Amino acid sequence: MRELKALALRIGGLFRFRRPEADFAAELESHVALHTDEGIRTGLKPAEARRQALIRLGGEEQTRQAHRERRTLPWLESLLRDFNYGLRTLAKHRSTTAIAILSIGLGIGANATIFSMVSRFVLRPAPVGDPTTLLAVHTLPQGEQCCNAFSYPLYTDLRDQAKSFSGVAADYELIPASIGGSAEPERVWGQGVTANFFSVAEIPMKLGRGFVSGEDNAPAVVLGAGLWQRHFNADPGIVGKSVTLSNHTFTVVGVAPLAFHGVEQILYTEFWVPLGNVANLVPLAPKESARDYHWAMVIARLKPGVARSQVAAELSTLALRFGKNNPATDAGNSFVFEQAGTLPPRERNAVLIFLAALSVVVLLVLSIAGANVANLLFAQAAGRQRDMAVRLALGATRARLQRQMLMESVMLGMGGGAVGLLLSLWATSALSTLRLPAPIPLDVSVAVDWRVLLFAFALSVISGLLLGLAPAWAAARPLLVNALKGEDALARPGRRITLRNLLVIAQIAMSVVLLCVTGLFLRSLQSAATIDIGFRPANLLLMSVDPRVQGFTPEQTARFLAELRQHVAALPGVVSAISTDVAPLSGGNRSDGFTIAGRPVKDSSFSYADLYMVTPGFFEALGMPRMMGRDFGGETATGPRTAVVNQAFVQRVFGGQNPIGQHVQGGSLTYEIIGVVGNAKSRTLGEESRPMLYRSLDQTIADDPSLMGYTLIVHTAGNPSAIEEAVRRQIYGLDPTMAIYNEETMEQHVRTAYILPRLAATLFGTFGFIGLVLASVGLYGVMSYAVTRRTREIGIRMALGAQPGTVERLVLRQGLILTLIAVALGWPAAWMLAKMASSFLYGIQPHDALTFALVPPLLAMIALAACYIPARRAASINPMQALRTE
Amino acid sequence: MGDKTDVWQGTLALMVLRTLETMGSQHGYGLARRIEQTSGDLLQLNYGTLYPALLKLEQEGFIRSSWGISENNRRAKFYELTKAGHRQLKRAAAEWEQTTNILARFLTPAEEA
Repeated sequence: MRELKALALRIGGLFRFRRPEADFAAELESHVALHTDEGIRTGLKPAEARRQALIRLGGEEQTRQAHRERRTLPWLESLLRDFNYGLRTLAKHRSTTAIAILSIGLGIGANATIFSMVSRFVLRPAPVGDPTTLLAVHTLPQGEQCCNAFSYPLYTDLRDQAKSFSGVAADYELIPASIGGSAEPERVWGQGVTANFFSVAEIPMKLGRGFVSGEDNAPAVVLGAGLWQRHFNADPGIVGKSVTLSNHTFTVVGVAPLAFHGVEQILYTEFWVPLGNVANLVPLAPKESARDYHWAMVIARLKPGVARSQVAAELSTLALRFGKNNPATDAGNSFVFEQAGTLPPRERNAVLIFLAALSVVVLLVLSIAGANVANLLFAQAAGRQRDMAVRLALGATRARLQRQMLMESVMLGMGGGAVGLLLSLWATSALSTLRLPAPIPLDVSVAVDWRVLLFAFALSVISGLLLGLAPAWAAARPLLVNALKGEDALARPGRRITLRNLLVIAQIAMSVVLLCVTGLFLRSLQSAATIDIGFRPANLLLMSVDPRVQGFTPEQTARFLAELRQHVAALPGVVSAISTDVAPLSGGNRSDGFTIAGRPVKDSSFSYADLYMVTPGFFEALGMPRMMGRDFGGETATGPRTAVVNQAFVQRVFGGQNPIGQHVQGGSLTYEIIGVVGNAKSRTLGEESRPMLYRSLDQTIADDPSLMGYTLIVHTAGNPSAIEEAVRRQIYGLDPTMAIYNEETMEQHVRTAYILPRLAATLFGTFGFIGLVLASVGLYGVMSYAVTRRTREIGIRMALGAQPGTVERLVLRQGLILTLIAVALGWPAAWMLAKMASSFLYGIQPHDALTFALVPPLLAMIALAACYIPARRAASINPMQALRTE
Repeated sequence: MGDKTDVWQGTLALMVLRTLETMGSQHGYGLARRIEQTSGDLLQLNYGTLYPALLKLEQEGFIRSSWGISENNRRAKFYELTKAGHRQLKRAAAEWEQTTNILARFLTPAEEA
């Protein structure tokens, strides 16, 4: 306590300087006076008495110094003084400081933005109680790369037999539903969970409770806080009230916290019902008793003190036992697990590679920025040699000077970090507005969280320290004699490769890499823009409804859709209206394995094809060319099933032979092929043409209903968004409780599909451009410094008869040599790195010839431009003046 | 602060506290002289070291200071013990006594065994 109080007083002492100083001076004066008085009393002369008193004091100044040091904290005081001095220096070199802070800010901003993605998708634990002991368990079928869900019986076996866990829960991942109530009907997604789910996950409920044992079939629901606020006005008395989900009545038992959207952090689900209700909410829901139907996502809570290795051992024992008891379904299975809420194992690698590639790129940007600033600081240090030399000559230690320089560069780093954080705040909010092209609800928003703050802070300090190393080293080692004479104190005689040249070479080499990668992604965007999606996006309006979740039977649904098409087609400005289940380019779709009917199935050689339900006129409305046969028309729900396939299907299944009239079998259904249409992109832009099979909506709606609802596609004569309201009115006219979703024009829909190439091109383009600008500024800086240093030499050359042109070439050549070395280093590195990016490129090779051929000359030109100004300046040196200045 | 100074300052602080207790309020020079006299002139203080020690005691709240007039009419800064100072003196004196006792056992010639 007393030490703390003393410490506080001493820190306080830092800011009170004059008064205590004067006070102590007076005290010392009185001490000396008292001592002198006594000396005089013993018979000494006054002068001698005073001299004796001062001797016994041990030196007035030393005493003052000792007192001052005790009064304050000397190290803190000198640090503060460094800080003040640093502020003054930085303020004096205003433009250098601004450029440095902005450069580092760009670099740190880029890094913080990418790191906020890493933090969101890799580091953030699930919003459950004690995330470190909650595991997600998957089955791993024999011979497969990755994992599968559990069958329900397998889940109960694990739950009942595993000793490592205090609780094991399961969920059915995605239930689409329509939620009623006072507000407009809304389409929401939820999960079916076992009754112990909330207690295993230890979710702190915002209101009410989770489910309790015995509620496995209860008509109870837990709402997400977002849904509760949005749809129920955050009604504090919601618990105990009834809500309608897809025409079934549920009683609200609780509200989950805002952060919780399911254990898996990318899905965005907003309600939870006990597992027994899934059969009512989802058509053809899996039977709980089926051991060969894998759908249950399993989470397990570790018992305290159980190690992961024990879990692994127990799970492999159990897998063997289950396999022996159920050889038909479970033989050869094993289990894998990871902390719940981490990236789903299937997507993990792609996401990690993407983030790694981005991290490399942003680190390159930061390095280029850093090299730039280091060069600037180095030049500044050269300018301050005299100042440093004087301080050294007056007795400052080199360590003291180095600390001073480091303090300044760390201040620059922190300034850059602050700018960078602002930039990344803006960038993450921009990124969060992006929508991924997927039919299911995803949450991919990113934000600057505490991990990002910490990261940005650490990065600022580290880059500040690294930046300061070179100038600090240089500052403390001036050639004293040269410096005091006012000559360049850093130039050691006979040294040609200077640190600055190395820095600029590194910088240009890194921008070669960056530019090549950027070029690749820009080319990829260019080629994505020319991708033939196989249909016309213009003049189409999309609007989805899901009458099934409103309690409609398949027949009622078909009738509803038919009436709707009829009404909408009658609207002015409408060319046609057709229905499908999911519009193409929605990120994913149902698919099935197909074979030619009647042929024996050899070693299960299915051809997988994406399945679409359509109504007659679909291909005309989307402008898809019909190659052979006819369109649908006159199909009846119970008549023989017909299908239209695309060319890729014909190639794959029939080897290019005419398929019209042939039958194909997929699942348990057989279709007669009545027509062939051109290929179209089914899931994503980047895909190779997939086999696609279109079938009649009326024929399939009964036994293979769509989980995603049904999309009305309106072909308009003019601007499709103009009739949006009219179409909505038609839907509400048929059923005022129908929830409408995915409302957009086909052009907007397709634009969403372009998001990945555009996002990649935007990110890399921005980073590449920043890198290029920074590198050219760096080269310019180095060259103009070189010219300044050689002013006298150039003066002598010109006095001896060198022409301005010769001098200009001399400078240009020096810059170009640096550039050439850099390109020679950077180009192969880029070549190797390009492979990493290959999986994100659309329609071009990772070693795209154009990119790799264009970047070096482009860079050389920019380098030439950056050297040109200093070269001109060199050529315009007046020899007389140059010789006289020194 | 090295170890040596610490030990020295520790003992010096004890001497200061004790001297202030017996003399009451006193200025720096008077304290220094009194300490020398009490030590039987065995100690010769470097007066300069006294002031940082006084400052430390003041920061720790064991003594307080105020300006006053000395016996021969000079303005001087006077120090006096606080309550905490009295307590600290008792504690430190007891510790010191114990330390010297222990050391004495080592340094006096052994009589048994």
